[in-house]
Amino acid sequence: MKESLLDIVCCPLDKHDLDLEVTEREAGEDGEITAGTLTCTDCGETYPIEDGIPNLLPPDMRE
Amino acid sequence: MGILEDKANARLFYRYFSRVYDTINPYIWDDRMRNQALEWFDADRDDRVLDVGAGTGFATEGLLNHVDEVYALDQSRGQFEQAFTKFGKRGKVRFHMGDAERLPFKDDSFDKLWSSGSIEYWPNPVAALREFRRVVKPGGTVLVVGPDYPKLRVFQTLADAIMLFYDAEEAEEMFTEAGFEETRHFIQQRHRGAPRAITTVATVPEEAESSDTDAGSAVESGSAEPVDR
Repeated sequence: MKESLLDIVCCPLDKHDLDLEVTEREAGEDGEITAGTLTCTDCGETYPIEDGIPNLLPPDMRE
Repeated sequence: MGILEDKANARLFYRYFSRVYDTINPYIWDDRMRNQALEWFDADRDDRVLDVGAGTGFATEGLLNHVDEVYALDQSRGQFEQAFTKFGKRGKVRFHMGDAERLPFKDDSFDKLWSSGSIEYWPNPVAALREFRRVVKPGGTVLVVGPDYPKLRVFQTLADAIMLFYDAEEAEEMFTEAGFEETRHFIQQRHRGAPRAITTVATVPEEAESSDTDAGSAVESGSAEPVDR
């Protein structure tokens, strides 16, 4: 995912902003984030970024 | 709406269904019908568009003929696998996993929203439509394609058992309940006797619900006639 996604993405549960923690990023300027975690600034729920794709499913819908 | 009301069941169903979906789907809703709906959608190249229930990417592919970039959302990773082979994982299609009824996007994030072949699986369609209204800017377009309620009783029984089907009147009820004021409904059919699709094109009102302001000017109709209600 691109870092600019943070402009429009939010917690699916309470719609508050998400904080990004990057574990892995592609090389180069504005490199895609391939692994990391998005954390709700309000409820603290975490959403993983796996293989570059943010998994924003509410916790009750995850595998 | 029946067995799929349980979201866990829905996910299991998708995992198997996605394998055959692109084979089945064109018989119900083909390229020609999709392209007609894209005309009604009328997106500009630089519009930010969300495709909800993008799945294997049949509609996404058509959307890319009109816009530079598509935000795709689906609840099932299995559905996306085929889309990855078509578009790559990181290109013009941005993939997100999420729930249509609890969208992970801020208010007014998108210019337009498209959802085809997905509404019939949602446990609470009105909740999803409310979310659509929330994430699309006022004046923006929401287009939803679903299956029209079958006329034959034997198919009605099947329809009621496995998924949601609705006619123009029910579509109008759902969209109104979700806070839309301007809607048009079109019936699309591949050929006489084939299953019918119902396509709703709705405009997000200028103000959030309970607005008593004028919803805006009348919309011109597409090349097909809107259905009577």
